[in-house]
Amino acid sequence: MGNNNNNQQTAAVLSVQDSLVRCAGNWTVTDIHALEQQIPSVQWPEQAMLTFDMQAVLRIDTSGAWLLARTVRDLEAQGKQVSLHGLSSGAQALLDLVREAGGVSRRAKYAKPRPFLFALGQSSLLTLVRWGDMVAFIGEMGEAAMRLVRQPKRIRWAAVLHELAQAGHKALPIIGLLSFLLGIVIGYQSGVQLRNYGANIFVVDLVGLSMLRELAPLITAIIVAGRTGSAYTAEIGTMQVTEEIDAMRSLGIAPMEMLVLPKLIALLIALPLLTVYADIVGVFGGMVMANVQLDLTFGTFLERFDDAVSLDSYLVGVGKAPVFAAIVATVGCYQGFQVSGSAESVGRRTTLSVVQSILAVIIVDAAFSVVFSYLDI
Amino acid sequence: MENNANSNDEIVIQTRGLSVSYGERQVLNNIDLDVRRGETLAVVGGSGSGKTTLLRHLIVLARANVGSVRVLGQDVSTLDEQALLALRRRIGVLFQNGALFGGMTVLENVGAPLREHTKLSDSLIDELALVKLALVGLDADDGLLYPSQLSGGMRKRAALARAIALDPELLFLDEPTSGLDPLGADDLDELVLSLKAALEPTIIMVTHDMDSLWRVTDRVILIGEGRVLGQGPMAELARSEVPEVQRFFQGPRGRAAQRQSVG
Repeated sequence: MGNNNNNQQTAAVLSVQDSLVRCAGNWTVTDIHALEQQIPSVQWPEQAMLTFDMQAVLRIDTSGAWLLARTVRDLEAQGKQVSLHGLSSGAQALLDLVREAGGVSRRAKYAKPRPFLFALGQSSLLTLVRWGDMVAFIGEMGEAAMRLVRQPKRIRWAAVLHELAQAGHKALPIIGLLSFLLGIVIGYQSGVQLRNYGANIFVVDLVGLSMLRELAPLITAIIVAGRTGSAYTAEIGTMQVTEEIDAMRSLGIAPMEMLVLPKLIALLIALPLLTVYADIVGVFGGMVMANVQLDLTFGTFLERFDDAVSLDSYLVGVGKAPVFAAIVATVGCYQGFQVSGSAESVGRRTTLSVVQSILAVIIVDAAFSVVFSYLDI
Repeated sequence: MENNANSNDEIVIQTRGLSVSYGERQVLNNIDLDVRRGETLAVVGGSGSGKTTLLRHLIVLARANVGSVRVLGQDVSTLDEQALLALRRRIGVLFQNGALFGGMTVLENVGAPLREHTKLSDSLIDELALVKLALVGLDADDGLLYPSQLSGGMRKRAALARAIALDPELLFLDEPTSGLDPLGADDLDELVLSLKAALEPTIIMVTHDMDSLWRVTDRVILIGEGRVLGQGPMAELARSEVPEVQRFFQGPRGRAAQRQSVG
């Protein structure tokens, strides 16, 4: 270190001569690491009486004093008598202080590992409890929503509009870009296959149906989960850490009404709209690709689109969006309320929120497919 | 500006003409300040008077655009990142809300600076952390807790243990007794005094607590509107004729604290 006062770069040292132990150097936190490694291998003399000469020690701090105290303690435990010489009064006081502090009782450092069955039972129970919490949260949310339906005046429209702008309007560029690229990819892959059979025109069916029924709703929900769901968790979680949620409760403001429902309402509106937007841009991407690769003009594409894609397909896709919106908003807010204590917890819950909502969205989408195939839609 | 009798005492912090403004607002205005090695100095002032800004400049978390700050003999405006790190190692700070790392246990918090800056073995670091915890009146079991599980007083103590982990030459305390009950605040004052006696750091504290000012400090600096309104030992300031100083120290709380400390 670039200290310019009297502490030279002198490491702490210790040398043994018969029953005399000479100590020298800086016994300070930055200069004792070599000494610490040396001490266990020191050949202590046979004599029962040892004298530590501390005269040549330049500086000593609590760390050095502790190292000295520990060494002396270990020697005394071996039945030797140790006397210290040449300590300044300040150093002596420091030594007494750390001896006293080191004498504080310390119990087992880490809790014993639990037996396997105990741990298994505990984690299963905790998982159940967590599911219970989630169900309770959904119930609470439903109850608050019912209250709002009966008293629509209590809906906080300003908050809803703000959330709508955040979750909807500001997501337009990213969702547009991704669905356009997705349309291009689907158009290209279908085109390569279809060209072999001279069935170029069917690229419209493939792009149109896959985009409208599956890909547009799914990609939109996934982006919104990563963009907005995580923001919900982080926002509510940070408010939890700073006790803002508690403050809200104590002021008689229900966090459900103030925070959760505006987000839910905003997403219920935003996600279907975003899905329609993704439909349009995605199909346009496919159209561009078909034009470039298969020489299919926009006019021909749109004509075929009318025949190939029924209204049902469009409604099926857009109909899924509110369900996805409810999942993302619920998981995001629920995880936010689960935050406890620290900044690390906010990070962990945000990760969980994104993972869980994407997982849930895909599972529910698969369930939709199964149901639709039964119903023959 | 300072006219102290023993002028050859080492000056550890020196500011000359330190001025800070955020946009239009002048937060610090031409502050001259000297801190001698080993003294306990308190910076006081109303809310928004610039105390915290001054403290941030002294602990080198912010650098001045006007004026000079010398800490431990080094002009901070000339230091590069490496030298700044080395300088900060010699400074311990107790932040107002503790600022303990939430993801670590108390023991790991106290050991963190040791682990970062020294090559000591893990077992010695744990022992040293336990010694520091004992110095601030916490025991080994408290060391296994996470900061969110601590009470306000314990959190202050744990944060203080982390601040003294490297035996700093300068110890900054930002409102050490705020948020504590009167007994806890008294205990913390005691603790600061005992650490002072044992480790002999130079202490600079920011506080509103009149009792602490009377009990712990050697010298007090009153700041208002970004200027130094008065400085000196508490007993002198309390008798001051300057109206701003009088207003600050002669309120009901100031008087009560004075009565208690005088007898």
